[in-house]
Amino acid sequence: MTSVMDQTSSPAPVPSSELLDDLVGVSGRRRTKNAVMTGLMFASVAIVAIVLGFVLVTVISKGWGIVHTKFPHWFTDDIPPTARRVGPGMKAAIVGTIITTLTATVIAVPLGIAGAVYLNEYGKRNLFARLLRFLTGVMAGVPSIVMGLFIYVFWVLPRHQQGLTGLAGAFALACLMLPIVVRATEEMLKLVPQNLRDASYALGATRSRTTLTVVIPKASPGIISGCLLAVARASGETAPLIFTVSVGASAVHATNWNVFSGPNTALSLQIYANAKETLASAQDRGWGAALTLIALAFLFTLVARVLSARLSKKTQ
Amino acid sequence: MENHSVNSSRKRSLAISGILTLSLLAAACSSDSKTTTTSAAATTVASTVASTAASTATSATEAPGSSDATATTTGDTVTAPSVDYSSLSGTLAGSGSTFQKAFLDEAIANLADQAPGLTVSYGGGGSGKGRTDLQTKLVDYAGTDGTVKPEDVALYTGGDFLYFPTVIAPITLSYNLSGVDSLQLSPKTIAGIFQGTITKWSDAAIAADNPDATLPDTDIVTVHRSDASGTTQNFTTFLEKAVGKDSSGEWKLGAFQDPTVWPDGGQAGDGNGGVAQIISSTDGAIGYVDLSDAKAAGLAFASVENKAGKFVEPTLEATSAAAENATIKDDLTFNLGWADGDASYPIAAQTWILVYTKQADSAHADNLKAFLTYLLTGGQTLAPTIDYAPLPTSLVAKALAQIDKITS
Amino acid sequence: MTLTINDLKSKKQYADKSFSVIVFLGGTGILVILAVIAYTITNRSTDAFRIAGFKFFTGQKFVPNGTPPMLGILRYIFGTALTSLIAIVLAVPISLGLALYTTQVAPAWLKKPLVALTDLVAVVPSVVFGLWGVIYLAPRITTLYKHISSLCDGVPVLGSIFGKVGSGRSFMTAGLILAVMITPIITSIAREVIETCPQTDRDGALALGATRWEMITRAVMPHSIGGIVGAVMLGLGRAMGETIAVALVIGSSATITSNLFSSGDSLPAVIALQWGEANATAKSALIAMGLTLFVMTMVVNFAAAAVVSRSTKRMQGAS
Repeated sequence: MTSVMDQTSSPAPVPSSELLDDLVGVSGRRRTKNAVMTGLMFASVAIVAIVLGFVLVTVISKGWGIVHTKFPHWFTDDIPPTARRVGPGMKAAIVGTIITTLTATVIAVPLGIAGAVYLNEYGKRNLFARLLRFLTGVMAGVPSIVMGLFIYVFWVLPRHQQGLTGLAGAFALACLMLPIVVRATEEMLKLVPQNLRDASYALGATRSRTTLTVVIPKASPGIISGCLLAVARASGETAPLIFTVSVGASAVHATNWNVFSGPNTALSLQIYANAKETLASAQDRGWGAALTLIALAFLFTLVARVLSARLSKKTQ
Repeated sequence: MENHSVNSSRKRSLAISGILTLSLLAAACSSDSKTTTTSAAATTVASTVASTAASTATSATEAPGSSDATATTTGDTVTAPSVDYSSLSGTLAGSGSTFQKAFLDEAIANLADQAPGLTVSYGGGGSGKGRTDLQTKLVDYAGTDGTVKPEDVALYTGGDFLYFPTVIAPITLSYNLSGVDSLQLSPKTIAGIFQGTITKWSDAAIAADNPDATLPDTDIVTVHRSDASGTTQNFTTFLEKAVGKDSSGEWKLGAFQDPTVWPDGGQAGDGNGGVAQIISSTDGAIGYVDLSDAKAAGLAFASVENKAGKFVEPTLEATSAAAENATIKDDLTFNLGWADGDASYPIAAQTWILVYTKQADSAHADNLKAFLTYLLTGGQTLAPTIDYAPLPTSLVAKALAQIDKITS
Repeated sequence: MTLTINDLKSKKQYADKSFSVIVFLGGTGILVILAVIAYTITNRSTDAFRIAGFKFFTGQKFVPNGTPPMLGILRYIFGTALTSLIAIVLAVPISLGLALYTTQVAPAWLKKPLVALTDLVAVVPSVVFGLWGVIYLAPRITTLYKHISSLCDGVPVLGSIFGKVGSGRSFMTAGLILAVMITPIITSIAREVIETCPQTDRDGALALGATRWEMITRAVMPHSIGGIVGAVMLGLGRAMGETIAVALVIGSSATITSNLFSSGDSLPAVIALQWGEANATAKSALIAMGLTLFVMTMVVNFAAAAVVSRSTKRMQGAS
């Protein structure tokens, strides 16, 4: 590091004694400033690393106990029905998170990819496409709690008790994912060289065939990783689920595999509910759920990385 | 396919609840020793309560097949309706009062052992939430610590509704003050603290209530609820009754439930648990929490001066004493705040389950009736094990008699 | 049945046509959903606006169960603005430092781990930061707050900013948590923008005898400033809309104060916490708060987009 610094701050060889004196004075200050600023840049790296380390170490050390005790009961038992009861069981929330996120993905990804294909392959720079692009930006900025409110008013309220389902939560999550998927997909479609399309047209392929067999496969690594990042983001969301999947954050303890009927729960809701408890037994489960959720989000991200790396090798 | 999975999950949940009941036993024993260290005065109560807990839990595990509910038999005998819990199936959803959540959670978990086909859930969220959820028929029953305002009756889209008292319990004034392990407070002092006129623990008013204590110069941090809450309503109703709202009265804020009425500068927690959490982590804090949550969090709590001028600890006995002196109206509503009697704790609170008289179908009606019957019979013996006082027997009888009004 | 060339062609055309219709509908989906959101939310807000009028934005008391109901949300707007401001003040220097270190200082082998570090922070769900903040951080950080508070006691301006400490749940703690959450957002965009700075500009600066820091301030920053401002605005938009982490650590006791260690409340937090108990009037008011929040974040996001597009245009013009 010092060698780089020496290289970049070599003093100018000016013979005039007056100028040199001046330069040396300035150079010293400049040198110090450079060193201080580099130090500060490094400090910010250290701060971020320390804070992340702190959070992860706390979550792992506090959460590992309950995940680990009586393994694999954490993954196979329903959540204990009262906060006072000690011990593992988070299956209901793990199942809930997976099925709501999965349903949201099934809704948002095809719609988002279709939207992006329209924007990049059909609409391009026309007025409607420009409007849609603008609206995608607007939608990406809608706070997640507002999405929850929207689904509550629009979907849950007219259906009374039957409205509180995993599906309602999935709708809210899908609303959050949609703009992310559209943006990521359009970026990737943009990167596909025009000459590939031209070649396909030259061979007599229609636009739909070109899009489906040439453009999308070429862009697929990026699209998949973009979608998986959206999934990772959605799986950790709490605010859209509070009003939509059950009456209260801690109301559901039993596993519900049916996304279309019956209230559900999610890891994020369990973390939120247990964060407000004083009992060690409940807080333990909160930490355990946090550990599980982070692991799940990491898994999605990791799969996104690996898959996109593999596919991009294959398409090249 | 679906049926099959439901069945297997039922079996599993049965097995799990068995294990959990055992772990509850262990927890009851260990929590007992904790209580002894935190509050010496409550030791005798806690130990008797713990032994009751053990026996209740044992009987629940030993005889899950016994389907007939047995009523409490203190003094006069209550004719308990016989309900075949094991034949029930369906779901009941509820939300509302966090004041009775710990009790309902426990009762629901125990009922699940006897009625494996019935799934009852309780989402908490506050009395206000329970009532609005019931209005829009989002839930089958609502827990509420307060009565429905006359102008709101029209909002209940399901028609007539009934109040079923479930348990009674004291609202404690829990505090966290290093070096002070016993505290006495008069209603006037409490009003001063929560109105922000008393800001230091060393204040003369607090010292006057506690002639023997050495009070530190710590700032008082008041903790209240952040959600619209029945506990807030009951606590402020007590202050209004005890300190008065007329010109000479020192409680200016009236009785209210909105969290935003409190003066600036306080702390607020979500639910009783949230308040307890802040108190337990903040030196100098004081707040109002139900006994169950306060004990679970290991908090110390003050003795409060009652109408008769005696300082009384928030115990279950003192709560029952307050209930003996309460006037119960025909719709089974009553208020325990600022009760008469030497032994009455002045901030005792009541809580109800609110249900519609007319249910959508007979299955719903039957399930609801069975659930309420359980709360008023088996549930009452369970109550003291988690620091709630059972209802007076006469009230239980009235409530049981009212169950038949539920129809489909 | 045999197919003629014409049949094939028309079938092909049919498929092509229907595909274009499908993708068009996909694109329109966003328009439709957004329109429904805007309609539903605005429609449900009207009651609150009718009751409170303009006082909705200027009133300080929010008592929906009172008679008459008071629906002033100024304290929540203040809380949202203050916590976001704290987050930005803390996160911007750190994000810039991290982005600059990654792109300008770090040796090649360290770049990937540093990018991974940023992404790792982004992957941690906000509710986990909330849990950590409320159970772990808040009770412990009060000691630090009290220390700062007693140091600043009596000092004119600092004394009122770092005033009396209640519990650890405060504007400051919420700001800290938000800062951690938006750091990866600002960092990753800033990094991408900085990396587009032409190598020739940087080499030129170094060849003229600039130190690395001078190269950064004179060559890299002028090039990237527009994009960085955009990144900061996006971070701000995210901070304003964050609900759960803030709801857990802000203390939920609405006040307008200069004291950062005081408890407060923010728009999204109050929506999440009071929704359940809300009566019809309060529900309408909370939805109107959602609308307010929506408009606030939209303004910030538009400003971000405008800044970014202006700076890209200027850069294109320059090169």
